[in-house]
Amino acid sequence: MKINYRQLSIMVFLSFISLKFLALPSVMYITSGNMSWLVALVLMIIDGLYAFMLVGLMKKCKDKNINEFLINTVGVVLAKIIFILLSAQFIIQIINLTKGLEFFVVENFYDDFNWLIYVLPLIILTGFMMYKGIRNIARVEEMFCWAITIGCIYIALKCITCTDPRAFLPMFKDGVAPLFHSAFKHYSWFGSATFLIMLFGKVDFTNAKKSVLIKYVVFAILLVQFLYFVFYGLFDTTSPTHNFCLSDVSQFSSNESIIDELSWLVVSLWVIAQALQLAVYGYCLVLSVMFAFNIKAKIPVIIAIDLLMFSLGYIGEKTVNFEQFFFNPAVSALFIFNEFVIPFILLIGYGVKRKKDRRKAKVVEDESIKIVV
Amino acid sequence: MEVQVDKIKKQIEKKLHKSSDLKSRTVQFFGTDICIMYIADITDNLLLNESLIYPITSYLKTTDEDVYTTIKEKVLSNNEVGEADTVQQAIDELLTGKTLVIIDGAEKILTCDNEKVVTRTVGEPPTSVVIKGPREGFTESIKYNLALVRRRVKSDDLVVQNIELGKLTKTQISVLYFDSVADKNVVKKIMRRLKNIVIDGVIDSHYLVSYLQKNPKSLFKQVGDTEKPDILVAKMLEGRVGILVDGSPIALTLPFILIEDLQNSDDYYSQPIRVTFVRLLRLIGVILAVMLPGVYVALELYHYKILPTEFLVTLMNTTEGIPFSPFIELFFVVLLFEILYEANLRMPQYFGMAMSIVGALILGDTAVNAGLVSPPAVMVVALSGITFYIIPSQAAQFSILRLIGLIIGACVGLYGILLFSVFIISYLSSFDSYNSAYLAPVSPYIADDKKDNFKRVIIKEMKRRPKSIAHNKDNSIRRRKDED
Repeated sequence: MKINYRQLSIMVFLSFISLKFLALPSVMYITSGNMSWLVALVLMIIDGLYAFMLVGLMKKCKDKNINEFLINTVGVVLAKIIFILLSAQFIIQIINLTKGLEFFVVENFYDDFNWLIYVLPLIILTGFMMYKGIRNIARVEEMFCWAITIGCIYIALKCITCTDPRAFLPMFKDGVAPLFHSAFKHYSWFGSATFLIMLFGKVDFTNAKKSVLIKYVVFAILLVQFLYFVFYGLFDTTSPTHNFCLSDVSQFSSNESIIDELSWLVVSLWVIAQALQLAVYGYCLVLSVMFAFNIKAKIPVIIAIDLLMFSLGYIGEKTVNFEQFFFNPAVSALFIFNEFVIPFILLIGYGVKRKKDRRKAKVVEDESIKIVV
Repeated sequence: MEVQVDKIKKQIEKKLHKSSDLKSRTVQFFGTDICIMYIADITDNLLLNESLIYPITSYLKTTDEDVYTTIKEKVLSNNEVGEADTVQQAIDELLTGKTLVIIDGAEKILTCDNEKVVTRTVGEPPTSVVIKGPREGFTESIKYNLALVRRRVKSDDLVVQNIELGKLTKTQISVLYFDSVADKNVVKKIMRRLKNIVIDGVIDSHYLVSYLQKNPKSLFKQVGDTEKPDILVAKMLEGRVGILVDGSPIALTLPFILIEDLQNSDDYYSQPIRVTFVRLLRLIGVILAVMLPGVYVALELYHYKILPTEFLVTLMNTTEGIPFSPFIELFFVVLLFEILYEANLRMPQYFGMAMSIVGALILGDTAVNAGLVSPPAVMVVALSGITFYIIPSQAAQFSILRLIGLIIGACVGLYGILLFSVFIISYLSSFDSYNSAYLAPVSPYIADDKKDNFKRVIIKEMKRRPKSIAHNKDNSIRRRKDED
């Protein structure tokens, strides 16, 4: 049940653009002002570099899944710790996506919102996709990828004539410190390459063209930058009051032609993109929990994830302030650790293991030579 | 086995419960009793007389050879003469339309093929009507059907493997494929599944479908079918395996992928640009057929704000005064449509036209005039109903999906419809039919197959067999460059 390299690249692409068009551009503006696009650009480039590194490592370990790979390279204890940390990240990403999508759906689809009506279809869909596995998710993403992308480009192009490039001036008016602060504060919206760790051993690299992944990553970065350019160019200092990049931009139409009615279709496609990304994170969470706690059955973990998503609507608002939760430095630190440190642990572990294997092979060779002599 | 005419005759009569259509005639051949047994209604009398009874009774030459060898090699003028070692084997042959020649003192029973093929003539199948292209359709006789295929394929590469299925019906099943094109693993898998079938009777090819598909309880079909020999041969040329069943005019094809239903035999006999346009229309038709009523209800109940003002005003004017909620209203019309369709299908042909007028025009018009349903509701269901038949082979599935879409649209709105459409795609993505992905070549995307998916290029440019269908990888090229 492996996915091909093109499907992997599409998954990376959708992972890179998901979350970026909801509340992020609006909340980032508060900290980093009109230079927020630069923060997003730098963080996405870092995500891209880690994606290439992880895929490179994935190629080297061939058919081994991440559990076997980690146990062989860094040992059982460290492997379990890594899986627990990854599980925590995936849980936060699922919460972030579920809540983000909820606000998006409330804003665009309903006058009287009912949590049950929102969450039940989502749980059924993502639960089914988690159960069916990564190949199923990859195939569905492949199916919708271009419709989603064309939709986003259409929204941005439609409003581009109304943007004011002066909104980006003056540049660096508060220096670079707010940019670093913003990057750290909003890191939980990034870390888009971490899910690749869970796909070790699940990708078929036969006939894979290296350039495919590069193209998709570059395209994702350009697309996000393009939409941010339109968003900040349209709303400038009022950006923090516009909660949803995609739907708010789409309302800012340059003309009243009939074709503008297509905006709701694009908004709808974005719901699909978020649901698919939720399935990806859900699947990764299922695997990491199973590996962390040696659980053999998939279904109980899926049910637990679904229950978590279900409960968000009831416990969330009263006990947890989600906004503060996502901006919590500990959450950012976790994401940064997972994306910056874990791939290096994998890389070092792989290097040490390879050295050991070579040494072992040499010893065996020497012994066999001695026996022959 | 020492053959004694009287004993064997009695045994066979007993075994067949002295069936009235079991006939026999005993003649003398140079002092030896020969009994000829056959089943009257499935034996060709003329052929029986000319190839069997007349040669035996008029044979004059004496010979040193024994009677059995003389009869088998010199007297019988049938093209197919076989031997049965046991009485049971002889009965099995008798029931397939063969004539038994029981020779006193011989060790075996001779069987001759005098079968009378009772079937209708070859005509255009009602479900695959074409404007251009061959009009021949399969009949209920497997012999005729094999002949129709053989007539199109004059190649030693065509393999026909026969097996018998059904404990009581003993139906002949023929598995057809091109030896150099079909994937051997797929052929093996199909043969294994067919041989493992234990069933008392196979009445039609669809009896085999549930044994051949991976998810037999699924709503979606996973085995292709066709009533036309030209389509069967075209599919076999792409690497598929065909299955013919005696008594059924429908041939099954495997592996099956969803896009096959968007393609029509007409497509290959028409201009490519027109075909591309028509295929896109079919795709839009599918989406309309399944989603339109659900989307309409969702828009009316939850998302009327996204409708343009002029359209909204018109809609509100037409739906004003309707006593039911949009969901009940549409559910009622959908149900009415389904009942009319079912009744029309089973009704004698001469009633059908009258029924259509009563159902579609009078009933619909009266319901609108009475203020029970609104004109847009009738229009939405009618449009959705018509688009079903753009792909008739999937109409049953669409009908169920439309109902589910309608309920989801009413309960959850557009958001639910969106997730429902993703769910359908996800569900379909999980199917793999005999090493072929169900949604290929779209997902997984197969670049080489874009020449014949939603668009179609000219046949000259289709140089490779579609990768979406599992086939022999050593024979992927239909035509090499130097053959152009």
